Amino acid sequence: MNNRIIRSLGTAIVITVWVVLVILVWLAPDQDISISERRKLASQPEFSTQTVFSGKYMAEFEDYVLDQFPLRDSFRRLKALMHYHLLQQADNNEIYIADGYASDLDYPLNETSVRYALKRFNYIYETYLSGNNDNVFVSVVPDKNYYLAEEHGYPAIDYTLLFSMVQEGTPWAEYIDISDLLSLEDYYYSDTHWRQEKILDVAQRICDVFNVNSFSNSELTQKLIDRPFYGVYYGQAALPLDSESMYIMENEILSNCSVYSHDTKNTTSIYDMNKLNGFDLYDVYLSGAASVLTINNPNGQDGRELIVFRDSFGSSIVPLLLRDYQTVTVVDIRYISSDKLGDIIEFTNQDVLFLYSTMMINSSSVLK
Amino acid sequence: MIFSSISFLYYFLPIVLTIYFLMPKNMKNSVLLVSSLVFYAWGEPRYVFLMIFSIAMFYLCGIAIGKSATLKMKKFWLVVSVVISLSLLAIFKYADFFIDNFNTATGMSIPLLRLALPVGISFYTFQCLSYTIDVYRGTTQVQKNPISLGAYVSLFPQLIAGPIVRYEDIAYELNNRTHSWENVSFGLRRFIIGISKKIILADNFALLIKLFRNSAEPSVVFYWVYAIAFTLNIYFDFSGYSDMAVGLGKIFGFNFLENFDYPYMSKSIGEFWRRWHKSLGSWFRDYVYIPLGGNRVSKCRWIFNTSIVWILTGLWHGASWNFVIWGLLYAIFLIIEKELPVIQKTPVLFRRGYTLLIVCIGFVIFNATDISQAVSDLQGIFGMADLPFVTTETLYYLRSYAVLFIIGTIGSTSLLSNAISRMKQNSKTQKLVYILEPITLVFLLLTCTAYLVDGSYSPFLYFRF
Repeated sequence: MNNRIIRSLGTAIVITVWVVLVILVWLAPDQDISISERRKLASQPEFSTQTVFSGKYMAEFEDYVLDQFPLRDSFRRLKALMHYHLLQQADNNEIYIADGYASDLDYPLNETSVRYALKRFNYIYETYLSGNNDNVFVSVVPDKNYYLAEEHGYPAIDYTLLFSMVQEGTPWAEYIDISDLLSLEDYYYSDTHWRQEKILDVAQRICDVFNVNSFSNSELTQKLIDRPFYGVYYGQAALPLDSESMYIMENEILSNCSVYSHDTKNTTSIYDMNKLNGFDLYDVYLSGAASVLTINNPNGQDGRELIVFRDSFGSSIVPLLLRDYQTVTVVDIRYISSDKLGDIIEFTNQDVLFLYSTMMINSSSVLK
Repeated sequence: MIFSSISFLYYFLPIVLTIYFLMPKNMKNSVLLVSSLVFYAWGEPRYVFLMIFSIAMFYLCGIAIGKSATLKMKKFWLVVSVVISLSLLAIFKYADFFIDNFNTATGMSIPLLRLALPVGISFYTFQCLSYTIDVYRGTTQVQKNPISLGAYVSLFPQLIAGPIVRYEDIAYELNNRTHSWENVSFGLRRFIIGISKKIILADNFALLIKLFRNSAEPSVVFYWVYAIAFTLNIYFDFSGYSDMAVGLGKIFGFNFLENFDYPYMSKSIGEFWRRWHKSLGSWFRDYVYIPLGGNRVSKCRWIFNTSIVWILTGLWHGASWNFVIWGLLYAIFLIIEKELPVIQKTPVLFRRGYTLLIVCIGFVIFNATDISQAVSDLQGIFGMADLPFVTTETLYYLRSYAVLFIIGTIGSTSLLSNAISRMKQNSKTQKLVYILEPITLVFLLLTCTAYLVDGSYSPFLYFRF
């Protein structure tokens, strides 16, 4: 075969690949959701004179074609592999993998964000707790990077500064240091969160400071969730991460508890098995995102109440704290304005815990 | 619309190519004109009318110059086209710059116009000017067909980021171009190489620059990393666009002049500007520098001419003082090189190093948002900003981008291109190159698509000029 024919054949191959992709793009049916990215995909934008001349149509069309590109996950994976392995970039979309753990760089420390979070906490204390509640504690959950980043040469935020800012910024609360109880193994490989079955010691320390009993290991049964768990980084990193096992810690006391959601007005159980059909298996703990939940524990001590201000890390630890409490109110001020808490919660002399992860404190603009 | 987007690659381009090649020869320019206006309107729906106005104005002025019986009338219509087009450019691009400086100088507070800059206005204004000037000079014929002139002005392959294609360079091809499989093959190759330079290299360097700007731990080394990253970023961004333009032009039967020739291999500033954005350099040479007298004048006048050309070159890139300083920096070094021929006798390595250093420093000034940021960046680079020499963060990004810097450095030289040429000339390796070439192109096409799908959208740097 002479060179001219080889070259022509080469061009024909490139054009064929491009044409096949064009046909796929034009003919592939639209998808509603991306399971790996846990989000709805953009749909066909509205075509009108107004949307065209404002440029809205064009902007939305670009989002639409990106979202609806055929084999989207495979292409995202190709990009991740190219980025991570061929170009040897240390992270992809700011997600890196070290020791098998995927983690978000979450760098640098945003002191403005820390101050904003503290401002919200102080507002809650001064509005609802000052004079009513004496037993107020604050604790910060270190994210995975605390145990992973520096050791593997990744930049890490100044955790010492963050912890001290939180301590000094909440003089009305006693600080519970839990960083010494955690290690890398206590977190999921592909998710931001800690594993419930690994944080009994953290729950015990918190219960100790409130002078209540926590569940001992022997009181709980570790139950395997019958579905593979792919954490949030699985979709974000687009790298081939393995699925993981997820467990819930069960016993009769927890089974007898009821969880009332002030958002949905529904009552569910501590572990919401319906959430296993959703995007995120971690939502099994207290049904996932919710503004205010009230947990009633018929086996708790009369009149003993706890209020937990928390982010998603709280979902998995709160069940481990409620052994002696008759009522536990779980508040997430990402989903409800702090101004409105007084309409839902009666602040008396409950125990109060502020439990937030470093990730949330470092990007706290969502706190209301 | 930008080339490095899914909507261009998988919607616009296939539709346009299909219609274009199905249409008879006499309809092809109409297809190009309509598709180019759609291409422009996609990103600038309102300003497409400005583009249509420019086409009409230059068409009529061209006709008027051609029909004018006297030189005086020819000059009149030329001045009309120059004044109107430069006024539009001044209003949209420079008005706020002048108002702002006027306010500062006089203490007045005239409100700024805050007009959005029509994409590519500097490019198509200069292209149009070359048309009427050349018609006036008699070096090119008047284009009597408005569709053909419209297709030339709005030609989407090079509409918004060059190269600045002069009318006389494609006047013949506008009505007499040929299409061939060889042209398609060459064009496709150049287009895929160009888009890969943009998406895989330029956009990744752009990400590093963004990380540098958001850094919590800047260091002297990080400033240097930034300076080098931007030097590579702007080269791969702009030369990538030019490659795509040349490639698309070839597919449609046009032969655009090359805009880059491995500028970072230059051994002097003069050589650098003969290799970087060649179409702009030659435009200023032919339409500003030579009419001013060029270098066949007294030394003082030559220094004046050189300074004017480089101030204008700076201002062409943006309405800001840092662009003026950037232009003047080149004027100074061009004058020094001319006055100190001893520089050309120094070792090649020194000359390359000195040229790269000036270019790199120049781009730091170029990329600053204003003078104060330029000063602060230069202080950082030269260790005068009280910063640590290096930090953990700097080392992290150095490690992370090491391979990209190596690829970028090699890619900005002719090493790879020369090696491939040598392999093509060798009968033993020739076939291997021809077999590997389509495999590489398919891989690059898929990889670019993958980067786009993952959302690494980034407009071209030269869109703002």
